[in-house]
Amino acid sequence: MIGIVLDGVVQGLQLALLSVGIVFVYGLGGVLNLAHGQMAVAGGLAVAILLQARWTPLLASAAGVVAAGSVALLLDRTLLRPAYTRRGEERLLLGLILTLGVSFALDGVYALWAPNIALTLRMPTLSIEVLGVRVRTASLAVGALSLVTFVVLLAFLKGTRVGQAIRCVIQNEVGAVLCGVDVERVRTLTVFLSGLLAGMAALAQGYFSFLGPEMGSEFTILAVIVAVVGGVRSLTGTFLASLLLGLVNAGLSYAVGTYLTWIALLAVAVLTLLVRPEGLLAYWP
Amino acid sequence: MNGRSRLRSVAPVLTTALLLAAVPAILGGSSYGLRIASLTVIVATYAIAFNLLFGHTRQLFLCVGALAGLGAYAFVLLSRVGGLVPVLALLIVAGGGAIFGAFLSYVSIRRGFGVLFVGVVTLAVSLMFHNLVLGLRQYTNGETGLVTRGIGFGLGEHPKEAYFVLVGVLVMALAGYQALLRSRHGLAFQALGDDEISAELSGIDVTKYKVGTAAMASGLIGLIGALYAEVNGFISPSVFVLGHVDIPVFVALLLGGMRTLLGPVVGAVLLSAVDEVVRPFGQLTVLTYGTLMVALFLLFREGVVPAAQRVLVRLGALRLRVPRRS
Amino acid sequence: MLEVQGLWAGYDDVAVVRDVDLEVPPKGATAVLGANGAGKTTLFRAIVGLIRPRGGCMRFDGEPLSGRAPHEVVRRGIVYVPAERELFPQLTVEQHLELGAYCVPGAFRSRRQLAYDLFPRLAERKRQRAGTLSGGEQQMLAIARALMASPRLLLLDEPSTGLAPRLVAELYRLLAALLREGVTILLAEQHVQAALKFCQRVYVLKDGRIAYGGPAEALRGNPELSRTYLGESRGSPDPTVGPP
Repeated sequence: MIGIVLDGVVQGLQLALLSVGIVFVYGLGGVLNLAHGQMAVAGGLAVAILLQARWTPLLASAAGVVAAGSVALLLDRTLLRPAYTRRGEERLLLGLILTLGVSFALDGVYALWAPNIALTLRMPTLSIEVLGVRVRTASLAVGALSLVTFVVLLAFLKGTRVGQAIRCVIQNEVGAVLCGVDVERVRTLTVFLSGLLAGMAALAQGYFSFLGPEMGSEFTILAVIVAVVGGVRSLTGTFLASLLLGLVNAGLSYAVGTYLTWIALLAVAVLTLLVRPEGLLAYWP
Repeated sequence: MNGRSRLRSVAPVLTTALLLAAVPAILGGSSYGLRIASLTVIVATYAIAFNLLFGHTRQLFLCVGALAGLGAYAFVLLSRVGGLVPVLALLIVAGGGAIFGAFLSYVSIRRGFGVLFVGVVTLAVSLMFHNLVLGLRQYTNGETGLVTRGIGFGLGEHPKEAYFVLVGVLVMALAGYQALLRSRHGLAFQALGDDEISAELSGIDVTKYKVGTAAMASGLIGLIGALYAEVNGFISPSVFVLGHVDIPVFVALLLGGMRTLLGPVVGAVLLSAVDEVVRPFGQLTVLTYGTLMVALFLLFREGVVPAAQRVLVRLGALRLRVPRRS
Repeated sequence: MLEVQGLWAGYDDVAVVRDVDLEVPPKGATAVLGANGAGKTTLFRAIVGLIRPRGGCMRFDGEPLSGRAPHEVVRRGIVYVPAERELFPQLTVEQHLELGAYCVPGAFRSRRQLAYDLFPRLAERKRQRAGTLSGGEQQMLAIARALMASPRLLLLDEPSTGLAPRLVAELYRLLAALLREGVTILLAEQHVQAALKFCQRVYVLKDGRIAYGGPAEALRGNPELSRTYLGESRGSPDPTVGPP
């Protein structure tokens, strides 16, 4: 029982790593990044390639995460420019289509250049005992990694000037501009941040099982659903939604088959939206 | 309405019908070519439905594939297991699709879902359908799929007749679309697409239009799904997946031009052409799709049909009756 | 302080502000009057860089202003309070003030004290979320937030909109206090009487062009003149007189 809850929490944390990036980019740029999963894959592939080149796991992981962030940044600065010249719903739609196109293009690129590369990160031992319960070391590693990341992120957002700027741009871009916030700079930083987080999610996937080049779309869909359920402008809401869905996933996976678990997850997502159409938390609290 | 303007209004659909009907002759009996043509017509019909849904009423139904798949599987099961006559099965499929689409639309409106949320909910529905089919293996044969030879009207055995049936449905859909937009509802649609709140405040029952549109479009999609099952001889869950239906349909509509009459058809044809060109390159298909989407939306924001219309207007060959706004 | 010459600005294909010349002298209040759609807001947005001017030039303290990004404009000392206020609904009063001082973090404490001195009602609601404040309090917060950046020129777009007459009087008393603090004010108003009484210089915008630019007293005492330029009917109540 505890094992399941732990698994659920850890899976939720990984989901959160993935989805928070979506909230950042949407909240700050008004663009739903449908190529988000492909950023994660970029990071994962980079780590795998570097590991093959005999880099140490730590360095390779760090480099991979930075790579994911850089790809995100590059995309935002180049292909997404036209979206930023529009406002409101036009920007959203244009962004949707552009990022969708990019996600396909990247999928194709990955299939062409790195079809056989997959990222697997192995732990020295398969499982260890904690408090009398057998847990997968990988789960512990992912859990620890994610928690540390989120604590740092929270400190950054609440404690630093830039972090506050990010929060207020999410709530009201014009208001932030009037306060003298350089929205462009803040947005760039946030895009990079979201890429970094995606890269970490890829690492987590590598720890859990493996990360393949074709997993981009699945990541994106998951991230978007979780983000929307959490309230696509709310970081805390998305975090909560991730935990919720992680627990549901872990709980059901043990009891029923994969397909039914998926259906249940999706049903929970839809139900949450029906009950609270704005998402769990409409705005950053 | 005098004879000349009547001819002019019927011309586009008529020309399209004639051109499409001529295709088998042009292809000279190539069964591969005929198959491509049939699939193109199917995509075009999906695109007409999606045009109504997203182009006109901003309902981002990312479940076109799922609706088609539901129609297909339902048709097969109703015919085989239920032993129903094909016509009846088709009617039930179309009706069921319409009800389901109307339901999705109604719930979304009542809960005040924006475009994004409708997209996500319908996406979830799509995925649920996919997993449902995989999960109910005893009925659907799961990932392996079902062979649907000999089902229904047996169109699978007669590709040429099948093609004409599909063209027939497409032409009727086009004619219906045109009639709808020319009727007194047309102005309501334009108002709706522009600004829902203002439309509502002008006395237009936005809910009725959106739900009605969703019903029509979903019924059409379900119907085509069922016909696909017949024509293709085989269905499986991966056939109806997002990447194989929704995305090509979206791209085709973008290519051709949203909110235009012939946009869906032109777009589907162009997309098929691109597909054929890229096919020998295997892996590049996905890459091409992606690059195409990006390039399209950056350059041809409105699609080929409006761009072509502009050229024709400038050449004096076409006079625009009502100014079109995107 | 602020010089605008031959300014053209607008949206898409439509020019809203046409060939506008304007001068805001330091240490006083200047008003921009005009009907709805005359171009007052567009003018202000062009000044602070929210929209790009199509033509003409602007100078602040002799330095060119056109083409500057909005956040740079704030750093130069021009702060804009838009008609929509643009607050952060989930953030508290205190957090708004903190953000207002984003460009001048060092001065936060001293400016905050000043803000609370000028707006005692906001001081009482330090921890209240902006979304739950009344209309009048939101207006105050918007101005207080703007003040935190130590503006030398404050642009106020229709600050009296939606305020009860009593609150409008309070607003103008506040603006007078700001003038005493050395802040220059540029004010866009539909509420003609109050603005005319308060400001020294007046510009009238009609269809995007300057119809009148000069001392306010010329319009004040001359109902004929004011009707020509402002087209107003007699008998609009002056909120700055009467019971407080």
